[in-house]
Amino acid sequence: MVVLREGMCPGLDADLVRDLRAADVKTVEDLVSSDTEDLAQKCSVSYRALFAIRRVLLAQHTAFPVSGADLYEELLSSTAILSTGNSSLDKLLDSGLYTGEITELSGGPGSGKSQVCFGVAVNISYHLKQSVIFIDTTGGLTARRLLQMLEAETSNREEQMEALQRIHIFRLFDVFSLLDCLYSLRTGMLQQASVGGGSVKAVIVDSVSAVIAPLLGGKQSEGMSLMTQVAGVLKTMAKDFNVAVLVTNHVTRSSSRVQPGLGVSWRHVPRTRILLERVEKAAAVSRSSMRSATLIKSSRQLCHKTEEFDLQRWCHSEGPSAKRKLEDMDS
Amino acid sequence: NERKCRVWRCEDEVGGVEMTESGAQLFARLEARRCLKDIEPALFPADGGPEHGEVVELHGTEGTGKTELLYHLLCRCVMPAAAGGLEVEVVFVDTDYSLDMMRLVSVLDSRLNAGTHRPAPSVLRSCLARLLVVHCSSCSQLLLTLHFLETSLSSRPSLALLLIDSISAFYWLDRCEGGASVTKQEEKLSKCADLLDSLRRDYRITVFATCHAIRRNYSGQSSSSSSEFDRPYLCRSWQRLVNHRLLCSREEGTSNMATAAEGSEEQRRRQVFTVHCTSSFSSKTKSHRSSSFYVTDGGVKLI
Repeated sequence: MVVLREGMCPGLDADLVRDLRAADVKTVEDLVSSDTEDLAQKCSVSYRALFAIRRVLLAQHTAFPVSGADLYEELLSSTAILSTGNSSLDKLLDSGLYTGEITELSGGPGSGKSQVCFGVAVNISYHLKQSVIFIDTTGGLTARRLLQMLEAETSNREEQMEALQRIHIFRLFDVFSLLDCLYSLRTGMLQQASVGGGSVKAVIVDSVSAVIAPLLGGKQSEGMSLMTQVAGVLKTMAKDFNVAVLVTNHVTRSSSRVQPGLGVSWRHVPRTRILLERVEKAAAVSRSSMRSATLIKSSRQLCHKTEEFDLQRWCHSEGPSAKRKLEDMDS
Repeated sequence: NERKCRVWRCEDEVGGVEMTESGAQLFARLEARRCLKDIEPALFPADGGPEHGEVVELHGTEGTGKTELLYHLLCRCVMPAAAGGLEVEVVFVDTDYSLDMMRLVSVLDSRLNAGTHRPAPSVLRSCLARLLVVHCSSCSQLLLTLHFLETSLSSRPSLALLLIDSISAFYWLDRCEGGASVTKQEEKLSKCADLLDSLRRDYRITVFATCHAIRRNYSGQSSSSSSEFDRPYLCRSWQRLVNHRLLCSREEGTSNMATAAEGSEEQRRRQVFTVHCTSSFSSKTKSHRSSSFYVTDGGVKLI
């Protein structure tokens, strides 16, 4: 909704705005949808002038059509695939996180969502030398853990510090600060954040459900509206700035089926979704760091593929024996 | 059709203000637009594909094959007649920011290569050039964009299809912004629907729109999961517009998240989706058609 103001376009002066208001035309939408001839008569302006105003306002506020061929070419030149640093996850994601898309990790408590996020952040900042925005809504992020992961990569203190410098952390605990943060990132902080070397290639939100889930439920629609806004700003940010967005979500169980949280309206927001689960073994269940990842939504790969990986060995130290396909084990 | 005939419509009260339309524009508006009746005969009731100016709604929850079906129809429209397409232009209004160009191109590519001759790379480009994409981020912007598209519609007779993915994208935003009054909540979408109504009538364009099934049926008794979300919930003026309603659902039993690991490779590949089409005609009669498809790397395969 855009309210009509004087000076928005040539010919739209204070008198005309007042006359239009008297004719119950207050916004650009009202002006565009009303019958121009009729309105010209009511406001005693020339049809030609009002028609010109309508055309200019329409051109100012509409979304412009882009040819599919141009869009495809632009996409080919700008899309990047960011490796997660974990070969099992990369295999499921068709070689990594794609820029311009939202990827979601769903999983119950202790399924390793946050650890995967840390691993991805460290890999992008250390190996790919790109900046990462990390939005922590659970308070689960500690610098010590990031450093620990970096120490596994390199013993060079300087390189470790450089990599840490490229991870920009925002701590916020409610949906309004999240929206605030995302809007300000979209209106320019993304460029600012990239000043410290490497452009921002990834935005990680861990977890998106922690701030949204408390607002849902009942028959009120405010929570749903806020959720749609979060989804909208994440999607436009991914597309317009060409960054990969990684979010985490909880899971719910209904009639013994595990489903991603936040309800059916959120379900279609991420393009790709991975379900993380603990690998249940008879002994030492609580100690095991083995996790299984299942691809449950994708437009590129066959869904329901499962891979296992060890959380403790994130990056290159991971030997090929540490992972194997679940299917091989079953057969 | 290049005769410079002009249609004059004088408004005597205004006195001397003329609305003009060139003969070519009138011709584009009324005659040349291709009918999409045979866009995919297997989906619609016998002899009942979408006519000029009809509206088709694709309804379903996430993971029921709506997007794949949409790309299937989109490819059929933009492909050249030599490769079995309709060779028409399409406007894709992306309100969800969900258009996956890579996927669309891979579907298009595999369908173009399905024939005996390998087409030149320029064919793919010319197919994509028949597609116009618009991103909208609010219901007001959608309304303004539809107004703006009116000029494209009048000047391009080859533009035959308007795709909106999805018409329900701003549902929750509008619900919240409208306050307590239902009329206020539905006002914006109603305006869009009214405008679409006049566009399809004046320019005889066919409209396809997806609608995410996001509201449960609060009917009291809990029904099975597939019929749980099938009730239309958008405003009345939109419901009145819809001539064909395609309800997408996933065939249960073959796969879900919990049992995914147990199914054989073949079963998983053949996740079957069903589409139930309900067409209403002007004579107040309805007819139905059910069809199923599965999804491969090359797009939708109807069974």
